[in-house]
Amino acid sequence: MKAGALELGHASKVTATVPQKGVNRGMSILDLFLRIIVIIATLGSAIAMGTTNETLPFFTQFIRFRAKYSDLPTFTFFVVANAIVSAYLVLSLGMSIFHIMRSRAQASRIALIFFDAAMMALLTAGASASAAIVYLAHKGNTKANWFPICQQYDSFCHRTSGSLVGSFIGIIIFILLVLFSAVALSRR
Amino acid sequence: MDSKSKSHETAINISETESNKGKSTAAATIVATTKAIPHNQKGGWRRGVAIFDFILRLCGLVAALAAATTMGTTDETLPLFTQFFQFEASYDDLPAFSYFVVANAIASGYLVLSLPFSIVCIVRPHLVGARLVLLILDTVMVAFTTAGAAAAAAIVYLAHNGNSTTQWQAICQQFGDFCQQVSGAVVASFIAAVIFIFLVIFSALSLRRH
Repeated sequence: MKAGALELGHASKVTATVPQKGVNRGMSILDLFLRIIVIIATLGSAIAMGTTNETLPFFTQFIRFRAKYSDLPTFTFFVVANAIVSAYLVLSLGMSIFHIMRSRAQASRIALIFFDAAMMALLTAGASASAAIVYLAHKGNTKANWFPICQQYDSFCHRTSGSLVGSFIGIIIFILLVLFSAVALSRR
Repeated sequence: MDSKSKSHETAINISETESNKGKSTAAATIVATTKAIPHNQKGGWRRGVAIFDFILRLCGLVAALAAATTMGTTDETLPLFTQFFQFEASYDDLPAFSYFVVANAIASGYLVLSLPFSIVCIVRPHLVGARLVLLILDTVMVAFTTAGAAAAAAIVYLAHNGNSTTQWQAICQQFGDFCQQVSGAVVASFIAAVIFIFLVIFSALSLRRH
């Protein structure tokens, strides 16, 4: 009876290891592909926010009606965070290719999960802080007496709002990346 | 206990080579050795990691709950008023703060619900499905909590310093208590976000297969 049960167990192990390795490799390839998409998204966001520069066609003696991303420290943090995340992703492409070749690597997958989670937190911080400021620029706030500047700086507002989209797409894909790494880690 | 496991191994090997002649014996011995290792020998460090994970979840619960309640109970009224302005500040005057309270409340609720899952992982250190679910939900909660904390931090920075280009005044000079309470809540939320990242690492560590 013991030999029979072991026979069944043995058979299931033999048939299970071959497609498992294939699924692992497929997920690693998908991981690489998604990483390239996030690089494009975050780099696009950083460049879109970094090249904002709008000057209104009138000025007085005291006030210059010009808006750049560096006028708001939150937007500066957004550009820096997106740049750091893009650089990290370019460096982690090598690690991802290594995982395609060696599906059994464990310590490097755990390190990748940790860095992916940390970079996702950085990206989320930059994106949501900028989202709060963009919302304020669109709507203003009556209690704090903050005026909605989008009514004056139209193209600046459009550009900053649009650059948020790439960042948020990057966040969602990062969650998928962590999921794929974890599933690949738990299967053998 | 070692000799017991070894004798288990050899017993299985002999029956395998007798009954299965067509299949390779190397694979059979690999199957035999993995089945022969007793569970509590391999589950030692995994259980330790699971216990630490549980403790960290309790700390995260405290941090997220503190952040939500501190922000939710802000209500400062200045002792002066005019016909047009009401000098009153509470968290729902700014949508970023409302989202902050909601996000931290959801994070605390999730942590309370995930405590039984964590206990199950302590009791049975070799469960993979529960750990995977916890890892994914922890990752989503990292994003959620960090988003709330960062949005509130951006508004708090603006309230402290103002902005010359957009002509936004620094309201902290008037609403001192409100600003202090809100800044404390943001710090607590960032601590909760860092704890979530550590939870993700611990779940990933215990997903390793030897």
